[in-house]
Amino acid sequence: MANKLFFRSALISTILSYLLIFIGGLVRVSGSGLGCPDWPKCFGRWVPPTSIEQIPAHIDPTAFNIILAWIEYGNRMLGVIVGLSIIIMTVIAVLYFRNNSKILYSALWSLFLVGANGGLGAIVVSSVLNPFIVSLHMILALFLVSVLSYGTIESYKLININKFSNILLSKKISISLIALWGLIVIEILLGTGIRTNIELIAIDNPLYSKGQLLDALNSYKYLHSVLGFSLLFLSIYLCYLFRDDFLGLSKQLIYFILGMILVQIFLGELMIFFELPQLTRLFHTWGSSWLVGIIIILYNTLQYDQS
Amino acid sequence: MTSLNKKLILAFLFIFILGSFGFYIIDKATKSRIDNIGIIGKVPSFSLTNFDGTVVTEKQLNDKISIVSFIFTQCEGACPIMSENMSTLQERFTSSSDIQFLSITTDPDYDTLDILNEYSSNYSNKNNWFFLRGDILDVIELSEKGFFLSAALLPAGHSTRLVLVDKELNIRKYYEGTVESNIFELQSDIVTLLNQG
Repeated sequence: MANKLFFRSALISTILSYLLIFIGGLVRVSGSGLGCPDWPKCFGRWVPPTSIEQIPAHIDPTAFNIILAWIEYGNRMLGVIVGLSIIIMTVIAVLYFRNNSKILYSALWSLFLVGANGGLGAIVVSSVLNPFIVSLHMILALFLVSVLSYGTIESYKLININKFSNILLSKKISISLIALWGLIVIEILLGTGIRTNIELIAIDNPLYSKGQLLDALNSYKYLHSVLGFSLLFLSIYLCYLFRDDFLGLSKQLIYFILGMILVQIFLGELMIFFELPQLTRLFHTWGSSWLVGIIIILYNTLQYDQS
Repeated sequence: MTSLNKKLILAFLFIFILGSFGFYIIDKATKSRIDNIGIIGKVPSFSLTNFDGTVVTEKQLNDKISIVSFIFTQCEGACPIMSENMSTLQERFTSSSDIQFLSITTDPDYDTLDILNEYSSNYSNKNNWFFLRGDILDVIELSEKGFFLSAALLPAGHSTRLVLVDKELNIRKYYEGTVESNIFELQSDIVTLLNQG
């Protein structure tokens, strides 16, 4: 009973956190980060103003843009919902799973990360969207979904003992999966570095075109592409290692990872060579967060077989 | 249909809906930037003298995006920050010939053309920034009636706001000249205006 309860709350927290990363990405690509110049309130109100008359006299109304305010506030509201959902999850963990350190610690870490990232959200606003802090805000969110994915799959294993694939976690698979996860984290940091630098260059050179911005980047932008293709080969190798599995959960997951990496490469190239950059950026960032969580889930479906 | 296929179709549908939602929001945000710099008023006719001695009138504002400030050279509070911020913007938009800057002194008694010339060399790196002086009564009228900015107890009582004026001499928006987030806003509004042509 408690197992099912925790699994459900962990699953809901994970899904909501992924949605939150999507909305957070939307805030960044639509340039709505300063939609509310104050924090946690928006123009001194708990409900953002719908007209300029509602802004209190002591707050400067210059930056008021109702659309941007509501996009930014949507991110904050969803953040509060995720926070509440994780609080519920942690309460369940503390009540019923004091002896299960995997569950207990994944809940406590999620609670810490969601709180820390909420606080960092305040600094994002007060720093006038410093690109480093904005990126750190996203990286903390990636840690959050990693821990939540871990908690979700661990609790799923408690209620579905017989459901797992017959693949044993061989040393080869274990090392390859850990390498894939580590390299994807590095790839995300490189991608974040590229985005951070593009934004820094764009602040100083507001008239630069997309091509000029890319030209102004350091040569490590190529590293991002090269590593991206290496990840593709590594995931193909992993598909080969999983060849003997019947079409179980693990095999579905590794094919999904391969597919996601292909989509990511496609989106990356699309951003360089074609238009619609904002929507592509949004899905490129979001896709990377999916990869991080799904590799953790795959790894832990396998680890079970060893015991 | 197998359950896997059903799940795949549902997943694609979900991604499609999210994508459409994202597209809609991004589009709305882009349009809101243009709506948010609506026309507030029109710059009236004026005639002031630039630090190099040339006469500058409202005609100088034709076909240029202008950023206007009211300052005086002996001011130690807001003015240096305002001028520093304008200097940063001048630097950042230096490759565009569609942008210019105007700083009007609220202390014409002290700020002679020579002093304005010296002041300009501290901040301006290009000849698209005019440092202007004129009769104090004209300056007060231009500030209060032209730009709707308070000008009581001059020189120190001048407004610390920067004014964005479009190519048709329309006043589009005000920005607190000492607040970083406002300058950030001004910069993106200039880009929006430039992209509009």
